[in-house]
Amino acid sequence: MKRPAGTLALAALLLALLALAALACGSAGLGWGANGELLILRLPRVLAALAAGLALGLGGANQQGVFRNPLADPGLTGVFGGALLGIALLLAGATEFTWQHRWALPTAAFAGALATSAALVWLGRGRSTAKLLLTGLGLNAFTAAGTLLLAARFPEARDILINGAAGDWLGSATLELAWLPILGCVLAALLLLTQASALDRLALGEDMAFCLGTDVAQTRRAGVLLTALAASAAVCLVGQVAFIGLLAPHLARALVGPRHRAMLPLAGLLGAGLLLLADTLGRSLWTHTPVSAAAMTALLGAPAFIWIASRRHE
Amino acid sequence: MSEVLLAALRLSVDLADHTVLEGVALTASAGEVVGVVGANGAGKTTLLRACAGLLPEATGELSLSGIDPRRTAPATLATLRAYGPQHPTSAWDYTLAELGQLAPSAEAFHRWCARFGLGASATRRLSELSGGERKVAHLSLSFCALGDAYGKVLLLDEPTTALDLCRAELVARAVRASAQAGAAVLVATHDLAWARTCDQVLVLSEGRLIAAGPPETALTAELVRATWGVA
Repeated sequence: MKRPAGTLALAALLLALLALAALACGSAGLGWGANGELLILRLPRVLAALAAGLALGLGGANQQGVFRNPLADPGLTGVFGGALLGIALLLAGATEFTWQHRWALPTAAFAGALATSAALVWLGRGRSTAKLLLTGLGLNAFTAAGTLLLAARFPEARDILINGAAGDWLGSATLELAWLPILGCVLAALLLLTQASALDRLALGEDMAFCLGTDVAQTRRAGVLLTALAASAAVCLVGQVAFIGLLAPHLARALVGPRHRAMLPLAGLLGAGLLLLADTLGRSLWTHTPVSAAAMTALLGAPAFIWIASRRHE
Repeated sequence: MSEVLLAALRLSVDLADHTVLEGVALTASAGEVVGVVGANGAGKTTLLRACAGLLPEATGELSLSGIDPRRTAPATLATLRAYGPQHPTSAWDYTLAELGQLAPSAEAFHRWCARFGLGASATRRLSELSGGERKVAHLSLSFCALGDAYGKVLLLDEPTTALDLCRAELVARAVRASAQAGAAVLVATHDLAWARTCDQVLVLSEGRLIAAGPPETALTAELVRATWGVA
């Protein structure tokens, strides 16, 4: 039998140690600086990676639970793409306004993520989960193309959007810019944890979940809304990172089993750990040309994902 | 006279512009087992799903313990009826212990598992069970959700499909025991021998009720020949 409480405690401890290591590592070398100046410099980036990873892990686990499919991931179903397109539209239409109001960017990201989620549910209504995911892939391609089109048309937003599409925004995190998305990530994570029982029953099919007393429509609505919130807040901090939402839930299920009460928080902790590890390695191993968190995540995550997928029955 | 727990009148269901159930009437009282039979596609599953409150688009009158299941919150409905689908599934590979934690009472779930010959299997995953074992694991969840059975409605869709003779007999006994404990049971089946042991039988054909009543009057040789093309 697996021991979820022990595994969760161990994951939390390892995450705390990793966060300390991340605060001590960087292009300026090891340590926190004589007066802690490096610590202060790195703290926003580490907090942003932790919050975004937490939201990505939980958002992915929630979407897999709602769609009853281990291949669901907000990065693949267009939700991240929608958030980034929302940001691109705002930057293209009202650049000055965006930088004058700190709430504008996260709000645009949330609106974009929500619009894509709603389109996904509407276009995929009455279809199989496989077709729903294919619809998501189409939406993902569409939103990515929209973002790139806007980046090409509006030179003042080009660099920021290209970096966002490459998942390379963590380097520019400051507490002033990041506190609102961090709050959004934490809020989404806490609310997503409340879905555990409903997601467990939804795994048995909509009919069975309904007959056991679960409000299936409400669970789906909450899932769409909270995943959009988690994804948009995370995108504001990192840009587009597709792999965490897929890998963290798989890893969590392999460690504590599929029950969401233990799996959801572990997926969040693992998501936070994976993103922080990827970002720390990316900026520490190649100090002159740091590699983006998204690229490092895929580099580390893809082999791990293939290994997990090949040895587990899902 | 026993209390009527489930009643339907002129119950009809259109799915994707196709009428799959038309004008069905039924009653099921406490202590009664009502068998629903018919060829494939006759509307048995749709009838059970409508009675369970799963099809809000169903038209006609429907009463489950005095309330309309189409307009009742899922949590309230769960205290009044239990349902076992024809093809139970699980998106994740739960162990029986984990599946039991989804039931209203894990202890009761394991008692039902043991009753159906799945005792001492708590650590086994659903993927490690045979098709029949998986079926009774999910049926255990349905029986467990019925609780003490008194005054409740049990809706089972082909519960003995994929089961060996021994387990099919165990399920049939559990159905009868639930009725004796005060439940009204509506069970869809292709097993005509089992249907003949029910208190009432409803025969469906192309979504319509073509015969209803005690099995000896509803399941005549002529009707069996006309419906299934066999003697």
